[in-house]
Amino acid sequence: MSKIMTVDILSSIKGAVPSEAVNKLFEVIKNANLPADNTFPHRHNDAVPLDDLRDDVIIESSEVEKKIIIQNFPQAKDNYLVVSKVIEE
Amino acid sequence: MESQIQKLHQLLVDKKISCKSLVQEKLNLLKKNTHNTVNSLLDDLALELAVKVDAKIASGETIGLLEGIPFGVKDVFMVQGTRTTASSKLLRNYTSAYTATAIQKLMDAGAIPIVKENCDSFGHGSSSENTVFGAVKNATDPNLVAGGSSGGSAVNVAKDYTVFSIGGDTGGSVRQPAGYNKVYGLKPTYGRISRYGLMAYASSTDCVGPLAKSIEDIGILLNTMSGQDPKDQTTYTSEPISIDSIDSADPVASVGYFKNFIENDAIDPTIKSEFLEVIEKLKSEGIEVKELDFFDSETLVSTYYTLAMGETASNLSRLDGTNYGNRIEAESLKETYALTRSENFSEETKRRIVGGNQVLSQGFSDEIYLKALAIRDQIKENFEKDFKEVDIIISPVTPIKPPIIGSSLKDPLAMYLSDAYTVGFSLGQLPTLTIPQGTVTGLQITAAKDRDEVILKFSNFLKDVI
Repeated sequence: MSKIMTVDILSSIKGAVPSEAVNKLFEVIKNANLPADNTFPHRHNDAVPLDDLRDDVIIESSEVEKKIIIQNFPQAKDNYLVVSKVIEE
Repeated sequence: MESQIQKLHQLLVDKKISCKSLVQEKLNLLKKNTHNTVNSLLDDLALELAVKVDAKIASGETIGLLEGIPFGVKDVFMVQGTRTTASSKLLRNYTSAYTATAIQKLMDAGAIPIVKENCDSFGHGSSSENTVFGAVKNATDPNLVAGGSSGGSAVNVAKDYTVFSIGGDTGGSVRQPAGYNKVYGLKPTYGRISRYGLMAYASSTDCVGPLAKSIEDIGILLNTMSGQDPKDQTTYTSEPISIDSIDSADPVASVGYFKNFIENDAIDPTIKSEFLEVIEKLKSEGIEVKELDFFDSETLVSTYYTLAMGETASNLSRLDGTNYGNRIEAESLKETYALTRSENFSEETKRRIVGGNQVLSQGFSDEIYLKALAIRDQIKENFEKDFKEVDIIISPVTPIKPPIIGSSLKDPLAMYLSDAYTVGFSLGQLPTLTIPQGTVTGLQITAAKDRDEVILKFSNFLKDVI
């Protein structure tokens, strides 16, 4: 996908534009000096190693939990939760 | 100050107070307080639990140390059946479907949650002004900010509205308000306490942290909440801290401090002179004090915010009115998302989401996001090197005194830079405790990863030294 997406589209925020204050922070990073041996990707990986991941498990929600999840949902009709619109693209 | 938890526990056991009266007293204080610390009170739940504790005591049963102790919860933690708003318009009507692991552990130990506390929306802020519930006012001077993002929690503890409170610290959000309101606030080693049920801001630095009025209480709470949790795979198993041994401090041989934090123009002259006095007192106690080199404030703050914004843009993408939040319908799905988010997010939250999407997008990720990750590596290496030379690093909590309410939101860059002394330890995932001593906004005590016990012992030693 080569289409250029602006930050308002990427963020789903109408009329959003980059902030001057935040851009100043990014300039500091762009101009920072890294030693020659510092290569991408980064050496310290903060993620949990694949071998350490637990197996996926299915945990049945309690009745109270299910009830609250339904209460939180913005719209319901005939016992179905209603999403706002169907994705058409 | 001695342990408030132990003191109240004894009063309950000796039947000098009832749990119901204790809880009711705190609820009354919270109700009439004018510091804007409360998002919602948990009256019914709290009083129901208090009656059960009283019945247990009356029947002669033994109660645990935390049983019946009322506490506050920053409004970013899930507590089943309670409003969990993150101080935002978007989640103003959201009800937690489950309870966060850290809070559940406290409740399992018998502690009673009584209030969901005001904070910066989604943790986005350093002043607790970015909230739909009104700016939180400082405990000692209500014209000043409470600090943030866990401002409501710090003020509640400082004013004795809660015995302790549980905050969240991503870049200083427990430590800085603790300093501004003169209480203890701990950011434990990353992964020591489960983040399950804490609304994610920046997942790689998010920590659950207790605020309290004594080191002993911080230790008790840390022990209760720590432990591996299958629901947060970054957690690890830690050794409990011996609360009795906090008093019998092992001698600390060497302490370091970052000289560039102190030798610059941005630090308030009072904070600087008070900090240097602390250094002199440590030397007079025979402790070796070493000056350490560290990254400049701008690099630290920029690295932290680059990564935190990237992570929050991703974490908050689910808040679109379909999965979560107040939906505002529009003519298409994308328009519904955009309208919901535009109308419901605060300016500061939008700024951070947009910044995050900037650095994660094609063309920018290499020169900004990945470079910030590489700088974070260097920061971590720097800490590893430092902790081969010293046992403890001390630093001021903030370069400035608490600003007047209304001034921070006008100048976001100044607000970001005020986090200069806290964000480095977050990037390093190190345990750091704010103590209400040393400077007008306190001191931070930091040790190497998983050495949380060492900072509690050293802080206890400092109580009599400074």
